[in-house]
Amino acid sequence: MNLNQFRDITRYPSAIVGLVIILILIGISIYTIIALPYDQTVVKWRGGDNVWQDNPRTVPPTWTNFFRSEKLPESIIFNSTDEGVEKQVTPLKDELTDIQMTITFDYTADEFPQEVIMFFTSTFEKKAPYISLTWITPDGRELDIGDFSIDKTYTRRLSQDEKLTKKLDGQPAEIGLFADPNSPEPKPLKGTYTLEVAGLTFEPESDFEAKTVIYGRVFGLAGTDHLRRDLLLALLWGTPVALAFGLIGAVVTSVLTMIIAATGTWYGGWVDSIIQRITEINMMLPVLPILIMVGVFYSRSLWLILGVIILLSIFGASIKSYRAMFMQEREAGYIQAAKSYGASNTRIIFQYLIPRIVPVLIPSLVVLIPSFVFLEASLAVLGLGDPLMPTWGKIIDEARTNGALYKGLYYWVLEPSFMLMLTGFSFAMLGFALDRIFNPRLRGM
Amino acid sequence: MTAITQQNVGKKARADTLKRIGKYTVVRFFMLFFAVAVGIYLTILIANMGGYVDEIRRAEIRENIAIQISMNPEYKKLTTDERKQLQEKMVALEEERLGLNKPFLIRSLAYLKDALTLNLGRAMNMTSDSGSRQVKLILLERLPATVLLFGTSFLLNFFISLFFALMLSRRYGSIWDRFVVALAPTSAAPGWFYGIFLIVIFAAWLQILPYGGMVDAPPPEDPLHYALSVAEHMILPLLALAISSIFLSIYSWRTFFLIYSSEDYVEMAKAKGLTDRAIERRYILRPTLPTIITNFALALITVWMGAIIFETVFNWPGVGRVYYQAIGLFDIPVIVGTTVLYAYLLAVTVFLLDIVYAFIDPRVKIG
Amino acid sequence: MNDNTLLKIEDLVLYFKTSMGNVQAVDHVNLELHKNRAVVILGESGCGKSSMAKAILRLLPRNVSQYHGRVIIDDLDVMSLSDEEFRQQVRWVKMSMVPQAAMNALNPVLRAGDQVAEPAMIHLGKDKEEALQLAREMFQRVGVPEDFLTRYPFELSGGMRQRVAIAMALITNPQLIVLDEPTSALDLLTQANIMNVLKKIKWETGTSYILITHDIATSSELADEVAVMYAGQIVEVNDAESFFAEPLHPYSRRLMASVPRLYGDEEPDFIPGRPPSLLNPPTGCRFADRCKLRFDKCDQEPPTFIVDGHPVKCWLYEKDHEAVISAATASGDAS
Repeated sequence: MNLNQFRDITRYPSAIVGLVIILILIGISIYTIIALPYDQTVVKWRGGDNVWQDNPRTVPPTWTNFFRSEKLPESIIFNSTDEGVEKQVTPLKDELTDIQMTITFDYTADEFPQEVIMFFTSTFEKKAPYISLTWITPDGRELDIGDFSIDKTYTRRLSQDEKLTKKLDGQPAEIGLFADPNSPEPKPLKGTYTLEVAGLTFEPESDFEAKTVIYGRVFGLAGTDHLRRDLLLALLWGTPVALAFGLIGAVVTSVLTMIIAATGTWYGGWVDSIIQRITEINMMLPVLPILIMVGVFYSRSLWLILGVIILLSIFGASIKSYRAMFMQEREAGYIQAAKSYGASNTRIIFQYLIPRIVPVLIPSLVVLIPSFVFLEASLAVLGLGDPLMPTWGKIIDEARTNGALYKGLYYWVLEPSFMLMLTGFSFAMLGFALDRIFNPRLRGM
Repeated sequence: MTAITQQNVGKKARADTLKRIGKYTVVRFFMLFFAVAVGIYLTILIANMGGYVDEIRRAEIRENIAIQISMNPEYKKLTTDERKQLQEKMVALEEERLGLNKPFLIRSLAYLKDALTLNLGRAMNMTSDSGSRQVKLILLERLPATVLLFGTSFLLNFFISLFFALMLSRRYGSIWDRFVVALAPTSAAPGWFYGIFLIVIFAAWLQILPYGGMVDAPPPEDPLHYALSVAEHMILPLLALAISSIFLSIYSWRTFFLIYSSEDYVEMAKAKGLTDRAIERRYILRPTLPTIITNFALALITVWMGAIIFETVFNWPGVGRVYYQAIGLFDIPVIVGTTVLYAYLLAVTVFLLDIVYAFIDPRVKIG
Repeated sequence: MNDNTLLKIEDLVLYFKTSMGNVQAVDHVNLELHKNRAVVILGESGCGKSSMAKAILRLLPRNVSQYHGRVIIDDLDVMSLSDEEFRQQVRWVKMSMVPQAAMNALNPVLRAGDQVAEPAMIHLGKDKEEALQLAREMFQRVGVPEDFLTRYPFELSGGMRQRVAIAMALITNPQLIVLDEPTSALDLLTQANIMNVLKKIKWETGTSYILITHDIATSSELADEVAVMYAGQIVEVNDAESFFAEPLHPYSRRLMASVPRLYGDEEPDFIPGRPPSLLNPPTGCRFADRCKLRFDKCDQEPPTFIVDGHPVKCWLYEKDHEAVISAATASGDAS
């Protein structure tokens, strides 16, 4: 093994492509670990606390609009706590205060939004503020779309307001409020819309804030899932998880297998026999079912599963091929010389035998990595993924169980699959090229 | 030397071969059986560390006795309480009889015996098509579907790979050769992965092939249309399985052929004036077959593993899908039972390949 | 052509293309062989003698850069035949081969008898039974017990395998057998046995041999003629008696001087230096830098002179001896 051989890699375009992709993946992993800390991610991914409140549900990424003739809308969000949303406060008699908010926005999409929801927070002691909503369409129609009192936290789902729906001739808010009255088929009216929020507070210190979310039908770089979570987070975090799982698994397994094979070959006798028997029995063990049982009955922690996989893999079939190679080396002159000057067995195994095999080990190690990555994905697809971490396999599993393929939500399945494919193929391409470089039997070609 | 003696020599040769293969087969059978036993024992250990296998047993005993009691006319006169008491007593007796009170080691051996004889208990939630709760029946009902799909796939993949590998080894460096070498990394992804893509393309988008399942619903009445429907449903799964393994097989075996064709005896065959085809068949293919079969066996084992997700993705009514459903329903007896079945399937696959191996390689030694 | 002449090799060339350059393994070789005679091609490792066997038998690797010349057997120049014609008319019909003893020359998954019978089925049109019967006769001739017909090669010892190889080479009764180091990897006793088998067969069947070896001692047992090969060229051809008594070419002399003798006080004299690489053979006489008798003319490649009817490629014989005009020297082709 020398530098020349590594330079040979440049002769194989597939290896270069693979290497480049791997470096990109490593870059993504580093970025993710630094910029999106793990603990926060786990908490965020678990949802709750309305973390993902502002995202639409199950929508494809924004850039898919590029391929559409009829553009889907992005979300439009106005929060009264932001600057730019004016609040006109007009005190009236008797501690009554009139608070007005006017929200204006342009609607340019060719399709209707997903939902319209308003989130209110208010402060008061006894009497809650009373809200009145007025909707003004670009063609000047004014609609009174709700009069209601709110609470300390109050969510108004306009899309589910039956009275409003009746008022809009049976069309739910997200359609009715935006529909072009002159168009025979339902199409949104483009132009400037105004929402007037008129609130009445009954106590001097009472106030309220309103966040209006007009949910789009596309979101972000990766879209969202059924829990409104930004898939980009899972795609990004899946990268270091997959890489770590694959690399650690492959390296530890390969190294241990090699040591076991070397030990067996060198000591021979009953040590070798036992190792052979264990290897044969191990070949019969159904790995995935055992993993499934561990996952179902005990724990689905990623690292435990990794440990079990490694345990089940170290006596794998590659022991036989390593053994053949070690057998050849064992009789070599320099090994006999080492034995004769009294080198200890451990020294011979580690200093002499193993370094000769490392060049052949490297390609198989690299090719092993995708197996681990896909194994983790397989477990996740079976619903046995790590409960905390967002991984690619998990996304595929959730997509499947939510019928993504039948509902045409292809992005949900294709995005994590694409990441899996990138990872798997890049290592595989690199590994195959390395095999052609390092495998002594192939060198003559 | 007469022709008759010549015949005798031939007969003796054949008898020798059969004897050798027979011995080998028996030895392998016992070794594999032992391996299966160890595998299943391990399964039991894992399953029962949480006490699950015990639970399965206890539940079954309880159910059996309940049925017994309800069927027995003598007990009809008892009150509910009395019946309950009787049940408890009988259950306790039965548990003692079956040694459920004994230490774990002995119990586990009893379970091992059960598992080896495929006495796998009763499912918790799932039932077989015939309405039985017996795990064994549930699994055996679904086994043919799995064997049909995967058996066909194995045969197809083996012969297609062999054909193309031979072809490519003759055209080293050609564009087809480089094409296959470039595609070899596709084997990194398992069959179900490609399955998803294929379904998206052919079923969801192009709508020319079914989404999944084994046969149209409702299934056609006459056998011909039934068979055609099954064949139609097999297209995508077979394609997915092919894509995920064929390129690697062709690449590996073509490499074997190339390596083996540089052997001295191949040159001698050429010197002797054998045709290229004869050389390929007798001097390259035959000596390489043992290596290829070993290689194939390892690939098969991987495919068996992937069957669980694979059948689920394609909604193929086989053992793998049962496993998936059992996981979802947390039906422990079925989960444990299917793992046992898997161990057997693996062993049978390896055993069959070993027999083929013995026929081809005269160097096969015994023990 | 003389009625007694079996084989005439003229200007045989075989060059290989390697990553390090062009290897000129067989460089314009000429050789004549009569019926029922054994010529030994003698040379050190790396002199190109194995390549010559491959050149005669047309067992070429993938990286051949030049391959031409004439190989005439029975008035037929087999070099002019297509591969398929060569396969049908020459391979194992006119000439067969016994491989190096260390070679993995027998197919491990076929029985010995079947392999030996193969050429009989292909070239003599025999069916399996007849061919096996013929194989049985061959086994008898080489001294292999009959039940080895059904054995596999891994069940045979090295010496037994070589005998089987010889039986295989004989089965179609070819006129010429090329043997490439047939005994070098065997122990001395087996070597002697095999040599006896070869002698017996030559006596019984009238076959001719080309025996390629570096082992002077064993070659002396079988040789009728000796052709010395050095750096891809034949530098001397002599009849065995004359050669072993008094070789003509300086290299041959040094070779014979390096053989330890059973009787006498002379110590063997080794040749300093190494043979030139076949990658870039020197211009001029290739043995010059190791030759004690070198003089200034040796900077040019010597032609082959005929000394008492024997070709010798050395300037020392220029006087009084005729040079052979070969196509190479005539066209001024340096190599």
